[in-house]
This record gives sequence, C-alpha cells and structure tokens, in this order.
Amino acid sequence: MNKGLISGLVLLTIGIVCGLLLSVVNYFTAPKIKEVEDAIKYEALAEFYTLADYDLSEVEGTGDFGTIFILKTKGTENIEALVYTVSAQGYSGASQKIQMLIAVNADLSIEGYKVVSHAESTGFGADIVDNDFNVTQITDLSRFDSVADVTETSNGILTCFTLVSQRVGNDLGGGLSE
Amino acid sequence: MNKKENFFKGIIKENPLFVSLLGMCPSLAVTTSLENAIGMTLGVFFVLVLSNFIISLIMSNSKLADLVKPVRIPVYIVVIATLVTIVEMVMHAYLPSLYFSLGVFIPLIVVNCIILGRAEAFASSNKPLDSVIDGVGMALGYGLAIMTISIFREFLGKGTLTVWGDLQVNLTFIFDFLKIEPIAMFVQPVGAFLTFGLILATITAIANNHKNKLAKKVANNG
Amino acid sequence: MDNLIMLAFSAFIIENIILSQFLGICPFLGVSTKRSSALGMGMAVIFVMLISSSVTWLLYKYVLEAFSIEYMRTIVFILVIASLVQMVETFLKKVSPPLYKALGIYLPLITTNCAVLGVAILNISKEHNFLEMLVYTTFIGLGFLFVMYIFSMLREKLDFAPVPKAFKGAPIALVIAAILAIIFSRFGGII
Repeated sequence: MNKGLISGLVLLTIGIVCGLLLSVVNYFTAPKIKEVEDAIKYEALAEFYTLADYDLSEVEGTGDFGTIFILKTKGTENIEALVYTVSAQGYSGASQKIQMLIAVNADLSIEGYKVVSHAESTGFGADIVDNDFNVTQITDLSRFDSVADVTETSNGILTCFTLVSQRVGNDLGGGLSE
Repeated sequence: MNKKENFFKGIIKENPLFVSLLGMCPSLAVTTSLENAIGMTLGVFFVLVLSNFIISLIMSNSKLADLVKPVRIPVYIVVIATLVTIVEMVMHAYLPSLYFSLGVFIPLIVVNCIILGRAEAFASSNKPLDSVIDGVGMALGYGLAIMTISIFREFLGKGTLTVWGDLQVNLTFIFDFLKIEPIAMFVQPVGAFLTFGLILATITAIANNHKNKLAKKVANNG
Repeated sequence: MDNLIMLAFSAFIIENIILSQFLGICPFLGVSTKRSSALGMGMAVIFVMLISSSVTWLLYKYVLEAFSIEYMRTIVFILVIASLVQMVETFLKKVSPPLYKALGIYLPLITTNCAVLGVAILNISKEHNFLEMLVYTTFIGLGFLFVMYIFSMLREKLDFAPVPKAFKGAPIALVIAAILAIIFSRFGGII
C-alpha cells in the first residue's frame, strides 16, 4: 500500500484517539465548568438580593446589554426588580469596556450597582470603581458624582446608568420578552 | 550522559528561558504575580512531561516510528494540543480564578517552542524514561525562570508575594519604611521587558565573569 | 462605523500585539535585526493571520459550535494554521516566485508564532462578528508590522553604539522594548 496513505491513516487514528480522550475529559469537566460559571454569575447578584426569595429568570440583551435578570415575586408574574448587565466605553482601548451590574427595583429606586470589569490603571484609577456615585433613583441622574482625573471611567459609568434609565420603564411595563 | 546530568541540564546549563530564549511570550505575560507563574509552571510541567513520554513511546517502537516519521510534526502537534486542552478544561473546572488570569496563554502552551523543541530534539530519539527526566528538568528550569521574573515584578509592583490563593506574603512595610509607593510600572507590560532584560544581563555578566576566572586559572596553571 | 474605527485604532496601537499583549515576541527579538527582514516577517504574518483567522472563525462558528465540540478548538486551530502555512508556501512558490522569495523563508517560522494562534483564539473569545474579526485581525497585523519596523531601525543603530558587554544582544533589545512599551502604554488615554 502507498506509504503516504498509511502515514495519513496513522495521523488520523491518533487524531481520533485524541478526540475521544478529550470528549471523555470534557464529559467529566463540563458540568463542573458550568457550575463555576453560574457561581460567578449569581455571586454578584446575591450582593443585591436574597435569590431564594424570588423567581429568577434571564433574558439575553442586545447591543450594550448583556444578561438581564428578572426577579419576580414567588409564584406570580409580578416583577419586583431587574438587574442589568450593561457595558460602555471606558479607559484604554475599544475592547476594554467597563461592565456594570445595575439593580433597579420596581419603584425605580436603585438597589445597588457594581463594576464587574474595567481596564483602569492600577492604584488610583482602579480604586474609583468602588466609589459611591450618589445615584439612588434611576430617573434622576443629575446628581451623579463623577471623579476628577478619571474622566473616561466616570463617563463610562454614567453612560451605563443612562442606558438603563432609557429602557427600564418600558421593561417594567412588560416590554421584556423571555 | 547519566540521569543526573540529564535532569540538571534543563535547570541551569540549557535553561530553556534564560539560556535558549524559548517560550518568551508567556514568560512576559503571566509573570505579573507569583501565583500566575506557579500556575503556568504546573501547566507546562504536565504538558511537557507527558508529551515527552508519549512521543518517545511512539518513536521508540521502530515499526510505529517508520509510519509516523513522514507526518511526525503534525503528530507531535496533535499530541501536544490534546494535552493542552486537557489542562485547559481541568483548570477551568477546578481552578477558575487561575484559568481567567492566565487567559489566552493556556491554549498558547501549544505553540510554546520549548515543548515542540524537546519533542523533536530529545524525545524522538531517546528512551521514555530519559525523556521524562528531560521533561521534568526542562519544565522545572522554565518554571524557576518565570518564578524568578514574577517575584521581582510582583514585589516591586505591588509589594506582595502571592503564592497560592490567600497564601500571600505582604511586604509593603518595606515600601512604608522607605516612604515610597510600590512601583506600579513593574506589573504593567513595561516592567516585563525591563525585568527580563535586566535579569538576562545579570546572568550574562555572571557567566562572563565565570569564564574569565576559568581562563585565568588555565593561564596561571600553564 | 464608529466602533469599527475605534476597534481598528485600539488593535493597532493601544492593544498592540507585541507591546501590550506579549504575542509574537520570538520573531520580534529574532528577526528584527534588519529593516528588510522585519518588513518581510511583518508582511508574512499579516498575510497568514488574515487567512487563518478567517478560516478558523468560520470553522468555529459553523462546525465546532454546530456540533458543540468547542473543546476541540485548540487542536483544530493549530492544525489549520500549520496546514495553511504549508499551502500558502507551495501556492506562492508556484504562482508568484518574487513574493515567495520575499516571504518564503519567514513562512515556516510562522507555524510556531503564537501571534497567529493567539489572534485566532482572541477573535473567538472577544465574540467578534465576521466584519469585526477582519478589521481586528488586519490592524493587529499592521500593529505588529509597525512595531517590528520601528524596533528594527533602533537595532540597526544599536550596532554602532557602545553597549556594555553584559547587555549585548537580547538584554539591551529587551530594555529598548521596555522603553517602547512605556510610550505605547500612554496611548491608552486617547480613547
């Protein structure tokens, strides 16, 4: 038989063996990986609400919005709160976006917010994301405290709030389809 | 070459990073903290030792070696990529924080020249046991090198040394004592190039010094 | 359109593949001693990167994701890149000998160039669509070429400079790269 063909077959066999091996490993690690990713997702959420008290569902947002979590009163269709994953342009490059979680109650008051990821320079720049930006009502962003000297990041955070404020009314009124 | 020499050559004489300048990319990118360097070392260790073992198993069987020879580079790549993917999946599942901080550099272990280089230069023409010893030595040599870089970078840049998770040595009091701040530049890209360059220069200086002394000794004796 | 320009600019300068992402350091130090070879290597990398990123992106979206075997990513990508480099080499040899002469010797080096595999993977993990992938890859490649070229000019001059003995070769090159990285890291404030 042709020698090149045999070599090709050997390569193919090794490839298939490796592929099978990987699928076995994947079978064991995949559930664990999913668990890890869920834990990361809900850990931030749990800072705002006790998740066991609500019916939790998720909607994938479009554009600047990531996952939107919907918290309903147990057993009803009554939306109690919405938590948005939203991103905006921040400091240092186009793919280095600021990502925030913003939790809004049904009465439009803000339960809490958190910067999930950013690319600020270490030290002073990175500290400001834990800052209190003085926002308590999503409808009133006029008192937003931006931080001097970290303009890009402050602006990015304000953009996140603005993006949420533009749609939250509609979403609470049933504009979210699951 | 006996087994001891075979083991130690990877650590000092043929250190893959400081002497052969192989595997530079991850050594610059993941050395922002000691923890990352240790994680990278674990990954490289697993892949290098096993790939050396498997490849020398394949190549020491003369019948199989004949068949594999014409396609040996793709075969090496497939074997290495499989091992790397296993490392990636296991790390993602059981060491998620390390997985996210090493990021793209885990799959990039595939193109780390050290691994393919050892497969071609050593494992393909040596016995499995020797290849494993070679792999252990080389991986340790590489690991010690990136850990050295990361110790300098993390200490100068953040004032801490993170060994694993919460196991962290806080040395900021040294900076407090000197009344200065840690030099954040060292955990940024700049610090990677600078630290590596200065360490290489130091090693060259020591090696030159050593050579001169040897030369003098020879001259005196003669 | 706005965000494509932004993406292009940050791929080119801010997230420069060599100076801030540390990919492709081996050719950066190895093939940058002369301007002509820096240009040749840069061109070859752009060329291979564009083809391989397009192919791997399509494969990932329409084969790996469709069969949900995403974990085969690394194996498939590296095999695609290795065979693409081979194919490009044979193709160039037949079709355009002058281009082959210019790029040929750099092509085999590219298989183990982590920049090519790195960009292919980054395009997937950053969830770029096809157009974004093309823009990102092109400008990452141009950034590579740009920094290689600047660096090779500096190194040509360095041949005439009195460098301390211990710093000769790679150490001084790394220190220069550090100075370049300082300059590039400050571009982050532009966007």
